[in-house]
Amino acid sequence: MNWWEVLVQQTINGLTRGAVFALIALGYTMVYGIIELINFAHGDVFMLGLFVSLAWFSLLGVTRTLTGWQLVTLLPLVFLLTMLTTAALNVAIDRLAYRPLRRSPRLAPLITAIGVSFMLENLALLWKGPAPIAYPDVFPSVDILREWFGVDSAIFLTTKDVLVVVATIPLMIGLTYFVRRTRWGKAMRATAQDRETAQAMGIDVERTILVTFLVGGALAGAAGLIQGMYYNIGMWWMGYQAGLRAFTAAVLGGIGSMGGAALGGLVIGFLSAWSDQYISARWTNAIVFSILILVLVFRPRGLLGEPTSDKA
Amino acid sequence: MSATARRAIGWTALVAGLLLYPFLDRALGLQTVHAVSDGMIYVLLALGLNIVVGYAGLLDLGYAAFFAIGAYAMGLLNSPVLGSPLYGHPWSFWLCIWLAAAMSALLGLVIGAPTLRVRGDYLAIITLGFGEIIPVAIRNLGDVTIEIGGWRPVERLNLTGGENGVNPVGRPYLPGVPFETDPVPWYFLILVIGAASVWAMSRLHDSRLGRAWMAIREDETAADCTGVNPVSTKLLAFALGASFSGFAGSIYAAKLQAITPGAFEFQVSIMLLCMVVLGGAGSLRGVVLGAMLITVFDRVVLSQTTFLVRGIGRTLGVPALAALDLTLWRWFFFGLGLVLVMLLRPQGLAGRRTSPIAPDDADEVTAMEPSPPPRVESIPGWLREQLAPGPATREAAILQVQGLTKRFGGVVALHEVDLVVPRGSIIGLIGPNGAGKTTFFNVVTGLVRPDSGRLTFEGASLVGLRPNAIVARGIARTFQSIRLFTHMTVLENVLVGEHCRLAATVAGAVLRPPSVTAEERRARERARALLAFVGLAGKADDLARNLPYGDQRRLEIARALATEPRLLLLDEPTAGMNPRETETLTNLIGLLRRELALSVLLIEHDMAVVMGISDRITVLDYGTRIAEGTPAEIQRHPRVIEAYLGTGSEQESAARTAPR
Repeated sequence: MNWWEVLVQQTINGLTRGAVFALIALGYTMVYGIIELINFAHGDVFMLGLFVSLAWFSLLGVTRTLTGWQLVTLLPLVFLLTMLTTAALNVAIDRLAYRPLRRSPRLAPLITAIGVSFMLENLALLWKGPAPIAYPDVFPSVDILREWFGVDSAIFLTTKDVLVVVATIPLMIGLTYFVRRTRWGKAMRATAQDRETAQAMGIDVERTILVTFLVGGALAGAAGLIQGMYYNIGMWWMGYQAGLRAFTAAVLGGIGSMGGAALGGLVIGFLSAWSDQYISARWTNAIVFSILILVLVFRPRGLLGEPTSDKA
Repeated sequence: MSATARRAIGWTALVAGLLLYPFLDRALGLQTVHAVSDGMIYVLLALGLNIVVGYAGLLDLGYAAFFAIGAYAMGLLNSPVLGSPLYGHPWSFWLCIWLAAAMSALLGLVIGAPTLRVRGDYLAIITLGFGEIIPVAIRNLGDVTIEIGGWRPVERLNLTGGENGVNPVGRPYLPGVPFETDPVPWYFLILVIGAASVWAMSRLHDSRLGRAWMAIREDETAADCTGVNPVSTKLLAFALGASFSGFAGSIYAAKLQAITPGAFEFQVSIMLLCMVVLGGAGSLRGVVLGAMLITVFDRVVLSQTTFLVRGIGRTLGVPALAALDLTLWRWFFFGLGLVLVMLLRPQGLAGRRTSPIAPDDADEVTAMEPSPPPRVESIPGWLREQLAPGPATREAAILQVQGLTKRFGGVVALHEVDLVVPRGSIIGLIGPNGAGKTTFFNVVTGLVRPDSGRLTFEGASLVGLRPNAIVARGIARTFQSIRLFTHMTVLENVLVGEHCRLAATVAGAVLRPPSVTAEERRARERARALLAFVGLAGKADDLARNLPYGDQRRLEIARALATEPRLLLLDEPTAGMNPRETETLTNLIGLLRRELALSVLLIEHDMAVVMGISDRITVLDYGTRIAEGTPAEIQRHPRVIEAYLGTGSEQESAARTAPR
């Protein structure tokens, strides 16, 4: 592989990683926007999304690569079931662990969220054991350049890469439509700006928060399923790391901003892929966290966020 | 039996138990001293974390990083791995332990300094980021090769021992004490350090610094405007907390004889946080209790229960139970513990109980015990002395404001405002809601930076000074919406006001030389005299949040007076008060001016109060000064009448002039 092929290959990797980060980051940013909580457990909902989707596949009897009509029936079905499961899980977490603390000091729900994160991780550990689990190769992998176009290139672009992008874009468009055009979306935006005024205008704030957790959980579930199909492996501790990277993406893009989360996800995806290649995979985490710290200290509003300040 | 006697017996029993325990253990052949000593290292860490989280209210999710720095400082300075020249000297442990603490404290400053202007939850995430970076760095710095296009300036450099860690580490040395073979000396070493820590921390807690930490935790802006410097106060908390983990880390390294990066992961930070939160953040007893409970649970209860459950499983023939390993569940239980504590008992097991909020029925309370009218005799003598004008301060105007302008985005909150406060006068500042009065206060007290204009107090410019520096110069304020330190006592609130006039340092607060003891006693006497003056004499030990509304207003004034101001800024002091309370407060303000020559700048909506007490009045409307003059002139001024009544709409008048 010559240098530009390496760069293109790593950029493709970055794009697929970034798409997953973006889906998770959206959940962080929506919840933060509406109740100013860093939902530490969100990364673990993503991880459980992977495990749950695996369970749905085995319940439906899918153990091998899907073909033909299965791809257009079973796959969307599993997407739907997984997203429903994680959405319900996310709402349950909010109801049980966060809702009682709505009026507490800001750090109380954050500490609780860390506790929930530990519980979810360890439930997965007890469910699936400490070793990484194999995720069946349910989605057909075709080397597109070689087999479809007959190009003899060292760059490896598969149908799975395409799947990640093709599955992510409709979700993003759907979310944008939901937030911009529907009644619930309007309620979410109003509540995010000023909870009390929204309440005074007759918006059911608690139900709006519920919808936010519902949507965030569904997106995390979809991200988990995509991750599983793409990498064919799942670990109980993956939610922590992915969650922190996605949170970095949300902060980088500007927490509270949906477009920012998508952009931040892509940037973190590219940066982590390039860092793996050009610096060292061992240092990638340190680099991502350094970005997180630098952004929080020097530009807390991120790339696309609006300036925020404590109310005096 | 009296409470003192009971307490004395309790302490004696505790000390005797701690001293006798290792011998008892040996006599009974329990062999638990090793495990107990290891556990006590975590107690030490939890105590350090408590300074940051409990006292100063800064959530630190990466505290294990400081632990790592302490351990690695000891490991690298006092081991043969990297060829340290200190290794091998008998006394080097005792030197390295201080170096390790110093290095951790330094790292605390380095991490703290850029992050302290960040909001609470962002700060937590930043500490988490550092907590992740440090172990990664330690792992990777064990084998550093830098290659730039075939040129290798650095090749296979080992800075940290990498994944293999550091091993062995030099042990402490005392003549005749077998640190190599016996766990008992370790137990006593850690016990001594732990006891010294608890002692030092309890003294810090009840000092000028402890009060400053708690004030920052309660309300950072109010603390800043009461003379507490938030940046240096928080940095001190970070550095002190880190130095404790430096001690703990170096003992850990020397006791285990081996350190690896895996011992300092995120989970350790969370376990320590669990200890602090479970016991009760801010309470020393609680943190020690929480740390011991969690250590015992982690090391004894989980494994013993596993044995028990497996035994039951075997007897009943249930293979699932027989193979169960509860120790795998430990992090699940820590997570569950955090959630349950926050939901059920957020103040922790031993946290300060906050009694239910007193019924908010101000009328009834005043009817029962009307606050005494302020009397000349009750003005604290010390305040009289402190505020006596010196020969150097003779300008006629104490505060001069010229051309002050402040914009928020496109909104001009203040436009070219001029205002003069002559020494010893009461100046009223009035105007419709949104006229810019509170913004004016915020600019004068340094909360908001003006875009242009001059701001001179006793001849020196105030522009660019932080709020606490302005308080030190002699300007104090109250807030429109009362901002007390609600979970501190009434007395403590006033003592925070004295913060900038006290001098005790960390060493002074811990060692308490006679000068510090005398200063602290004097501070308390002064605070009590002030409370008596404003009519809160019997409530010194109540929590501020439990005071009725009118008392809270007066406490805020007492806190402001404690900073020894020469100019007092009062933002709607009578808002929400009944007529009687209003009258008392008006008399108080007049008395302060008459007797102490205190200058007062007053925002007030109650026209009877403003017109009755002010020497001159400035009127703002839409950020512009529209009138200035004596009360009589203001009442006749056409533009004032227009601003308040509108042109030609008399119906509005009642709504706009009535006190809110």
